[in-house]
Amino acid sequence: MRLEPGIEEKTYVLNLGPQHPSTHGVLRVELEMEGEFITKAEPDIGYGHRAHEHMAENRNYLQFLPNMGRVDYLHALAYNQGYCMAVEKLLGLVVPERAEFIRVITAEMNRLTSHLLWVGAYLMDLGAFTPFLYCFDDRENLLDLLDRITGSRLTYCYYRFGGVPKDIDEEFITGCRAFVQRLRSRWADYDNLVTKNVIFIHRTRDVGLITQEQCIKYGLTGPMVRGSGIPYDIRKSEPYSAYPLFDFEIPIGERGDIMDRYLVRMREMEQSLRIIEQALDKLPNGPIMAEKVPKRIKPPEGEVYAAVETARGEFGCYVVSKGDVKPYRIKLRVPSFGNLCILPEVAVDTLVADLVAILGSMDVVVPEIDR
Amino acid sequence: MLKDRIEKALAPLNLDKVAPGDYSKTGYHLEVDADPVKMPQVAQAFLGEGCFLESLTALDYPEHFTVVYHFANFRELCRTVVHARVPKGQEALTISQVYPAANWYEREVYDLFGLKFAGHPNLKRILLPETADFHPLLKEFGATQSDEA
Repeated sequence: MRLEPGIEEKTYVLNLGPQHPSTHGVLRVELEMEGEFITKAEPDIGYGHRAHEHMAENRNYLQFLPNMGRVDYLHALAYNQGYCMAVEKLLGLVVPERAEFIRVITAEMNRLTSHLLWVGAYLMDLGAFTPFLYCFDDRENLLDLLDRITGSRLTYCYYRFGGVPKDIDEEFITGCRAFVQRLRSRWADYDNLVTKNVIFIHRTRDVGLITQEQCIKYGLTGPMVRGSGIPYDIRKSEPYSAYPLFDFEIPIGERGDIMDRYLVRMREMEQSLRIIEQALDKLPNGPIMAEKVPKRIKPPEGEVYAAVETARGEFGCYVVSKGDVKPYRIKLRVPSFGNLCILPEVAVDTLVADLVAILGSMDVVVPEIDR
Repeated sequence: MLKDRIEKALAPLNLDKVAPGDYSKTGYHLEVDADPVKMPQVAQAFLGEGCFLESLTALDYPEHFTVVYHFANFRELCRTVVHARVPKGQEALTISQVYPAANWYEREVYDLFGLKFAGHPNLKRILLPETADFHPLLKEFGATQSDEA
């Protein structure tokens, strides 16, 4: 995309990015400005395109699994889960209950790391530095816990077709319970520091409004729709894994502004803690791997769509098999791509400073958009 | 039931196939085959039932492309897949005037497959640089890594 002069003399073009701190990755938004106000915004994506879908067609099923930790590096385990679920459906594998519980516990912990990072980084976008340190302090505990079990801190590749490769132990369980207590004790601090902060309220209330009709037309998912008052969460709407066994709520907003999206994520973290707690209480004994997992993964002909709820919204894994050792096609329906496409509509008639607030509130992970 | 309402809404369009899917195996409640020229009407029918466009992609076969649409609903669990066969050398019809979400998905399909969508307001590459002269997800594009092991 070349930089072209504004259509009329009174407007000018401003580039936001590709290396703008608020884009958290390499994303460029070409803005047409009239004074301080945006008249047109066009995101330019693809800077970090790594051809994951092309790689999928040239690797066998298991070889593609590590890619899943690298699409959305902030909630890698949800991607592990979505892909594993799709292949398990194709193969007709049934995952043992204990493995499902371990998946739920670790995926929820991973969701917490993602939300904590978002809160910290987002508030830094808005000019508040202190919350970032609190969030990363909490997040570090989770990374250490997950590191012990999965062997990595960020780009996890922990689930396998049919279960998980390594069981959790007493030390992990004790650490998890201690963390749940710790994070709960912090909510009051976060509220005092952020939620009741008058500068934060002025920056976010009634800014970046998204209506329910827009949610449907643009196919938004995750906290973006829940902020607008639609209780759509795949963990409830299309229950998978062990989620139906747990008692949790889907927080929703009322107005659909940035503040609502922030509150939805904050309340969601408490729900994740509840899920983790219940899963640890009810954790069944038994195998962590399905019995008859074929050595050579060669699913029968057919296609399957499996959806999971990531921290950003719906990840859909569409797999087409022609009975070969390699998939014929894998399409990754990623939430950030679906959510970002509303930006041109929301950005019009806002200030650049507000655009930074709106873009941040979408919680986009750019490598996920680019794939 | 939303599934029945969708079937009812699609009935006047006289589509090639509207059949219930095996949800436990495929994740679909409804499977539809449609002529690509009817896609704007099909999309309108889904919008009328309050469904959203979940994903839009294509599959490359030797003789034709299959454009695959997934529709789902925020209020009720019902996923529909729509397959539309577009012979090589022909164009598909855009549904971006019905679902703005399709704008980017169709650009992505054009970018990766070279399949054009007639009536699209801004059909240009989205992920690859605009100077690229290839469409990487075509089967003839081939692989860069051999994987025979």
